Amino acid sequence: MMKPKVAVLSGFGINCETETMAVFEMAGATADRVHVNRLVMGTTQLSDYQIMAIPGGFSFGDHLGSGRLLGNRLRFGLREEVREFVSAGNPVIGICNGFQVLVKMGLLPGDDQVSLTQTASLALNDSGHYENRWATLEFDQASPCIWTNGLERIRVPVRHGEGKFVTDDPNLMDKWTESGQLVARYVDPSDEYPSAGDETLPYPISPNQSWRNVAGVCNPSGMVFGMMPHPEANHSTWLGATWTREETEHGEGEGMAIFHNAVRHVLRV
Amino acid sequence: MSSETQIRLFEVTTKDLDGLPDSRGESVRSMLKADYGIEVNSVRVILGYQVKSDISDSDAETLIYDLFADPVIEIGTKGSRMLDDFPNLPEAAIQVGFKPGVTDNSGQAGLDGLTTLFPNQSSAKVATFTTYAFWGIPEGITPSELAAALHNPMIERASVAGRDDCFKGVWPLLEFPERPPAIFQEPASVDLEISDDELIEISERGLLALNLNEMKTIQDHYRDPIVRADREETGLPPDRPTDAELECLAQTWSEHCSHKIFAARIRHVDKVTGEDSTIDSLFKTHIMQPTLDIQTDVDWLLSIFHDNSGVISWNDDWSVCIKAETHNSPSALDPFGGAITGIVGVNRDILGTGLGARPIANTDIFCFGPPDYSGSIPHGLFHPSRVFRGVHSGVRSGGNESGIPTVNGAIVFDERYIGKPLVFCGTVGIMPRLLADGRESHVKTPEPGDVVYMVGGRVGSDGIHGATFSSLELTEESPSSAVQIGDPITQKKMIDMILEARDAGLIQVITDNGAGGLSSSVGEMAELTGGADLDLGTVPLKQAGLSSWEILVSESQERMTVGVRPEDCSDFEALAMLHEVEATAVGSFTDSGAFVVRHGETPVANLPIHFLFDGCPQLNLESEWQPPVHMPVETPDLDEVGMGAVLGRLLARPNVASKEWWVRSYDHEVIAQSVIKPFGGANHDAPGDAAVIAPLQGGTQGLVISNGIAPRYSDIDAYAMAAASVDEALRNAVCVGVDLDLISGLDNFCWPDPIESSKTPDGRYKLAQLVRANRALDDVCRAYQLPCISGKDSMKNDAMLGGEKISVPPTLLFSLLGNHHDVRKAVSSDFKRPGDAIFIVGQTHQELGASELSFMLRDEGVGGIGGAVPEIDPERNMAAYRALTTAMRDELVASAHDCSDGGLSVALAECCFGSDSGASVDASILWSDCEHLDLWGALFGESLGRILVSIRPEDREAFENSMKGVSCHYIGEVSEGDEISVTRNGEVVLFASMSEMRE
Repeated sequence: MMKPKVAVLSGFGINCETETMAVFEMAGATADRVHVNRLVMGTTQLSDYQIMAIPGGFSFGDHLGSGRLLGNRLRFGLREEVREFVSAGNPVIGICNGFQVLVKMGLLPGDDQVSLTQTASLALNDSGHYENRWATLEFDQASPCIWTNGLERIRVPVRHGEGKFVTDDPNLMDKWTESGQLVARYVDPSDEYPSAGDETLPYPISPNQSWRNVAGVCNPSGMVFGMMPHPEANHSTWLGATWTREETEHGEGEGMAIFHNAVRHVLRV
Repeated sequence: MSSETQIRLFEVTTKDLDGLPDSRGESVRSMLKADYGIEVNSVRVILGYQVKSDISDSDAETLIYDLFADPVIEIGTKGSRMLDDFPNLPEAAIQVGFKPGVTDNSGQAGLDGLTTLFPNQSSAKVATFTTYAFWGIPEGITPSELAAALHNPMIERASVAGRDDCFKGVWPLLEFPERPPAIFQEPASVDLEISDDELIEISERGLLALNLNEMKTIQDHYRDPIVRADREETGLPPDRPTDAELECLAQTWSEHCSHKIFAARIRHVDKVTGEDSTIDSLFKTHIMQPTLDIQTDVDWLLSIFHDNSGVISWNDDWSVCIKAETHNSPSALDPFGGAITGIVGVNRDILGTGLGARPIANTDIFCFGPPDYSGSIPHGLFHPSRVFRGVHSGVRSGGNESGIPTVNGAIVFDERYIGKPLVFCGTVGIMPRLLADGRESHVKTPEPGDVVYMVGGRVGSDGIHGATFSSLELTEESPSSAVQIGDPITQKKMIDMILEARDAGLIQVITDNGAGGLSSSVGEMAELTGGADLDLGTVPLKQAGLSSWEILVSESQERMTVGVRPEDCSDFEALAMLHEVEATAVGSFTDSGAFVVRHGETPVANLPIHFLFDGCPQLNLESEWQPPVHMPVETPDLDEVGMGAVLGRLLARPNVASKEWWVRSYDHEVIAQSVIKPFGGANHDAPGDAAVIAPLQGGTQGLVISNGIAPRYSDIDAYAMAAASVDEALRNAVCVGVDLDLISGLDNFCWPDPIESSKTPDGRYKLAQLVRANRALDDVCRAYQLPCISGKDSMKNDAMLGGEKISVPPTLLFSLLGNHHDVRKAVSSDFKRPGDAIFIVGQTHQELGASELSFMLRDEGVGGIGGAVPEIDPERNMAAYRALTTAMRDELVASAHDCSDGGLSVALAECCFGSDSGASVDASILWSDCEHLDLWGALFGESLGRILVSIRPEDREAFENSMKGVSCHYIGEVSEGDEISVTRNGEVVLFASMSEMRE
């Protein structure tokens, strides 16, 4: 069976490409580190890949807003290639800084036309600073998102300073809720599943005071997905925050299901 | 279409939306309250960008929302002043911006963004500003006081508008920071045929930090007829050095670069034992020799002492390396810039190891004045809380933006660090044992004819004299040019590019440009081939007009020097272009025996390699040990509740209290390898002892990284201080289950000036402390089979301000890098469940001298710190550590936590925090270790070699069997609830409620 090929973008301060490549390989794909400039110069073609991943990091140091400058590089330098890739129904994921990039370039929450118009943003956490701590996410079972299919809850680290999901048009939040695009939300792990709600949860259960506790969103087709937390950082049980207190059979961590989903999706198509 | 060059102002602030606060303003408001006690009602932050370009008006219009402002959550303006649009006039407005020539990373990013949109704008300039508007300023607080809290005049400017200006709508506005043109000085020569006094004057005036003997050695060199004859042919003045040569020698011979005190011949006198002996180099005798001796027993020491960091073999496929540096003086002058430069600088030491290693973990250990210090601060220094905040923010930015996790650290507080904070930045690296072309990656392979490339940042007037400056004490005149701001993104691009070049086999030799700049980096590598030829005219500059010697010694950041074979140059340059990294050929390696420097056609320097590296004369120093006298510790009689309260107060001491708020803002999990994290336990808030990482994703072999630091003990005996530091580092590593057959260490000494002089009348005592610390290091490392593979020293940690001298307590940071067989068996510090049995490994003795408790009682007005300091028995400790780590591999240990600051009772409390449990302990058995133990010694003493462990009841017998023959006592049980109770002979002697102490 052919392994799906994943383009894992790198360069300009992206810094989670090593582990992002590793989790796709663990999930049965072949992952290449692809410097953004290789795509811009045309020495590598996005169309040779079935999945694109924009990993976390600090592209351009987060100056002028996290993800903004790399988003511009893609929006202006790779506009048609990205639109074609997404319109062709290939899965795309952006994690943390990669999610910020997808939001700032208008691919998320996005629209059916893939118009690349920014409609939401990720503002500075209410705490005013960067934080690394673990959070529990819950996923919307009714969402079209192929990445989170069948997932209920996972525990993952958040590592960001600008992760508060907001928009300037309140009607959009309702629209995205209805279309299942607000697919990943912070929840209190002590509440019984399912518990995702619109009321902002207290800090630090919601580490950034995101509107409606949103941690990740998908586009209308469910193929493009982005989230602030880092599922790739929980690829093995021994990376969990409290694994030394739990009786676990060691093996894959809770974050891996997301990458398995995308690989399975490509193999089925 | 381009028009005339003009400067346009863009401003950006948060949009007014329900549920979207101006968090930047809120952060400033809470900082003012926390650090200065100033409570203002509200603060609004406006980001400003001045763009100097010839862009057309209509194009400039698009920049507002395509570049500077986020169209969804921010509003942006061009040309107008945003403060005009606020419904309520502020009571004060302050604009802060960088001084000309200071690195402006946001401005650089803005320019990059501008050229993404308009590729023809590469010669434009962007500068950033921040405007703060205030409402509700308390009576008596002036706008200039606010401004002082918001900027550092060493690197920044502030423009202030008070109430009157605000009411008139006169807003603060700084001018565009034009970098002043440098004034090119023709290469000059320096006549050394002068008096001794004049020689010293040349050294002092030029910030060369060379002593008379060294100046005379240089004078002698230029009197040598052979040297003169050789120089005749080079076109250089035959009988005297050029300015560049003198600078180059001063850098290479600086204490910072050549560690003259550690290399000195010392006559050591011990007034207690009557010893009178001579030590020929502390480094060779007590650091290098033990490691060389250990090297004959093990096969994993790959590269020690001669590279940028020490390298050990981790397994058949990978080797690992570790290095720590201090960045103390710059952090005192500009805490943010000093710290960020420190962390990205030590990352380059790793990148410059062998043929290039990848940095995978940072550690940060800080020593500051107390954050709640209320005494006066000498002019020219910052309050410790401001130093703390700035350093923390610099390390956060440097580590996080580089994608290197901060996995471990510590913060130590003492009033004597007000003069010079200590900022230790450490980095661990990893590299493949073999490259695809068959070369071992830890071996540099330069050959004459290889091309010298300078890669990364450009050279500017920033960072001139960093190496020599750090070899001098801090004074009011300390130059601002010694302060720089690191640029993690330029460096990250360079790291990506270098590692790709390494894997492609394009690198022959590499080192970083740190202290001494090109003079050091090219000079050091020239030692390997026997010479180098450098053309300063080809070096890319930040500003035109730099003089030859300035280009040669400037320490401008984010630069590596790389040797590349001529046939590989085009591939190397193509890779640099892909990554948008500047790489410029600046010379070549030779075997001529000399380091030859030209500036175009003009000869600048010609220094024989052997004179440059081996010519510096050895210092002759004297030390004398006479133990200090202190008032003894006095302990009151207290009941169990009183003792519980003592525990509560110890836990609240800054040295012991949780640093969680600070540590959470470091990324400790990037690279997805973090097994034992800085915090663990049920609520993720129990401090871990050592970091465990599994750097190969999916693999279960791990690395252990830990630190030990115990400067308090120097007040009584630096031998005890050093022994405690090494033991603490190893103890911490044992707590997580380190493989004791593969442990390596790193020594980092920070001392006050130990050379006797009129400014340092107690130099002999301080040097004797250094001798004793080195002897402890030697004794303990040999006993633990713990070779020091790398190290560093910083020997001038004094500040002379307003006539007052403040010296740091002699401090040794010992860092450890070890193997972990299987991270799935790693052990964390938190108790696991009620009913588990608690044991203490190791012996407890009556050792309260210079303990955290003694300092607390003294600070509370009772007694002194005098008394017995912890004595080390490394053989006994090692036997216990081996038994314990074996029990861990058999999965018999539920938790393990180091007993250090505050002793057994603090360790108990920390283990309980991590599990929301209590503990019920009978301490009576401790008296079997030491008959004259008292209750205070048992509960709060800091005897070495002790680890508090908990064991599942079903494993207790197996555990006791595996600990047979080593010191290990059963002392109690983990209990439900939140109470710690300690009894002795049936009587409760300490009682405390955990939930009360958590407050």
